[in-house]
Amino acid sequence: MAAVEIQNVRKAYGDVETIKGVSVDVPDGAFVVLVGPSGCGKSTLLRMIAGLEEITGGTIRIDGRVINDVEPKNRDIAMVFQNYALYPHMTIAENMGFSLRLAKKSREEIASRVADAARILGLTDYLQRYPKQLSGGQRQRVAMGRAIVRNPKVFLFDEPLSNLDAKLRVQMRAELKDIHARIRTTTVYVTHDQIEAMTMADRIVVMRDGIVEQVGAPLDLYDRPVNTFVASFIGSPSMNFLSTRIEADRRSAVTESGIRLPFGSETSVAPGTAISYGIRPEHLTIATGGGEGIPMVVANIEPTGSETFVQGTIGGQKVSAQLRERLFIKTGEVLNLTLSPSNSHLFDATTGVRL
Amino acid sequence: MTIEAAMNKKTAHIEPSAEELAEGVRLRRRKRLTNLAIDIFLVIVSILMLLPLVFLVANAFKTPAEMLAWPPTIIPRDPTIANFSAVLGETPLLRWIGNSLAFAVLSTVAIVATSAIAGYIFGKFRFRTMNVIFALFLATAIVPFEVYMIPLYFQAKSLGILNSVWGLLLGYLVMSFGIFLIRQNVIHSIPDELLEAARIDGAGEFWIFLHIVLPLLRGALGALAVLAFFQAWTAFAWPMIVATTRSSYTIEVGLALFQTGFTVDLGRLSAASATVLIPSILLFVLLRRNFVQGVASTGLKE
Repeated sequence: MAAVEIQNVRKAYGDVETIKGVSVDVPDGAFVVLVGPSGCGKSTLLRMIAGLEEITGGTIRIDGRVINDVEPKNRDIAMVFQNYALYPHMTIAENMGFSLRLAKKSREEIASRVADAARILGLTDYLQRYPKQLSGGQRQRVAMGRAIVRNPKVFLFDEPLSNLDAKLRVQMRAELKDIHARIRTTTVYVTHDQIEAMTMADRIVVMRDGIVEQVGAPLDLYDRPVNTFVASFIGSPSMNFLSTRIEADRRSAVTESGIRLPFGSETSVAPGTAISYGIRPEHLTIATGGGEGIPMVVANIEPTGSETFVQGTIGGQKVSAQLRERLFIKTGEVLNLTLSPSNSHLFDATTGVRL
Repeated sequence: MTIEAAMNKKTAHIEPSAEELAEGVRLRRRKRLTNLAIDIFLVIVSILMLLPLVFLVANAFKTPAEMLAWPPTIIPRDPTIANFSAVLGETPLLRWIGNSLAFAVLSTVAIVATSAIAGYIFGKFRFRTMNVIFALFLATAIVPFEVYMIPLYFQAKSLGILNSVWGLLLGYLVMSFGIFLIRQNVIHSIPDELLEAARIDGAGEFWIFLHIVLPLLRGALGALAVLAFFQAWTAFAWPMIVATTRSSYTIEVGLALFQTGFTVDLGRLSAASATVLIPSILLFVLLRRNFVQGVASTGLKE
């Protein structure tokens, strides 16, 4: 086990810089998730930790040692790939024992360590089969097993669940978390799926265009996003943003069509300033008191059974709401909503930075 | 009708009418007839392709008189092995077969080895210089062999390897098509992650080539081996100019001896050809699966 320290790391292909100075600390035993839209550089960063991509600038340390120019095999890491990268011509046991065989371990030791890993992953019955005889979830587990067997300092995961169907993904998510809880190996996990990030991470690193937008615990990111990008990326359905201006009392904002949106406490921002008012869909509720409410013109209703998702407009601006009630209204009708002011977020209208 | 009403309406089970049944029978019969026609056509084509081979083998057992008889017989009336004993007794046929076999086997080994290494390097280590070198490799395929046959002959001569298997091999160690075939296979069927996983697991580059790349290329290499073997086995122009002594001929060159400018000794030629067929057919039977797999694998997933 070891900490991973990434300091001001850069990656350039010719003149094009894809990673523009990233610093991330992964504490010993932590489960850190790198998340962001495709092309944000999260996979490149992971591959730089693995040693599969050269580091243009900055340093990466594993367990205190600078590993910039160390060969992948000498970094004491294990990586799980999106397509599992199992050797198709080897049995599951051979796949899992491959690294130990290369390390010239004795036959008995390989067998016992493979058997241990197989027990943890429930693969004992499949050891003599070939990868193509297994299902996607089982292959995923073999890839995990290949990593566990080595007992490395750091686990690296590159979108490991993307090739699985939705149901299996949820199941494997829980299994991965459970395995990490048991063996507590430092883990860096890359995904584009914010739900995976939220549910598995001790700490999330949100990336965009080669820079880190925000680092924090999942719920901190959810409750206090530093800008509109993080605010809209974390959470599903994503946060609503309404363009408004600060009112004279500095306790609410008003849309162009005159709808007043309160935000509880007093802000230091000057009245009249254009801001982006953010509110999550689940913080909109149906107004019980009649009259006083925010009118939403309903465009689409999606009942899921447990909840109802409603899309529509407030003062001509697109908004979605996540309601507990079942609704029996038609599109085009007006729904009166209230919002919880303490759950609102204010962002600068031009830069998107949290105010 | 509203959508709900349409969805709720039970689809009643209606018996097909006599007319519809008759139509079904007609369509089925037409399909069967089409299939039958295709089968007959394919059988005729197969027979046409097999016939020369059958006659070749049959002629080997015929007397000179029967060979020229009309209509030709498929099963000899008076089978004789005189042709075989003459061929085997008067010409060093087995020696020629041996020469051809040694030439073809060594050429196959060399081509498979060079293609595997070069194809893998070209497929997985993509630098600009590599692309240029690969283009040069491919360009050699454009130059007809006859163009550089004479210079190659002088080279063989100065190396002192005329009239030997090594001389024969000189032009048959590398096959640009083979490199191309393996490169395409590497790109198509070996994902980068597999090599990266092995590198992280601690494998060296040569180990990766030997234990991961080669086993995965088995099918393609098998196909290439068959191609390379037959290329050398059926080679004619080069063996003819390199091998000038009777004992160093390959079988192809030796067979040509039965036809001179004035006569063709059909009986002996047939007997010799029939004997020569045996190793090629054996090899194809043994490697048939690899061959078909390798050729088909370029278009298939997993």
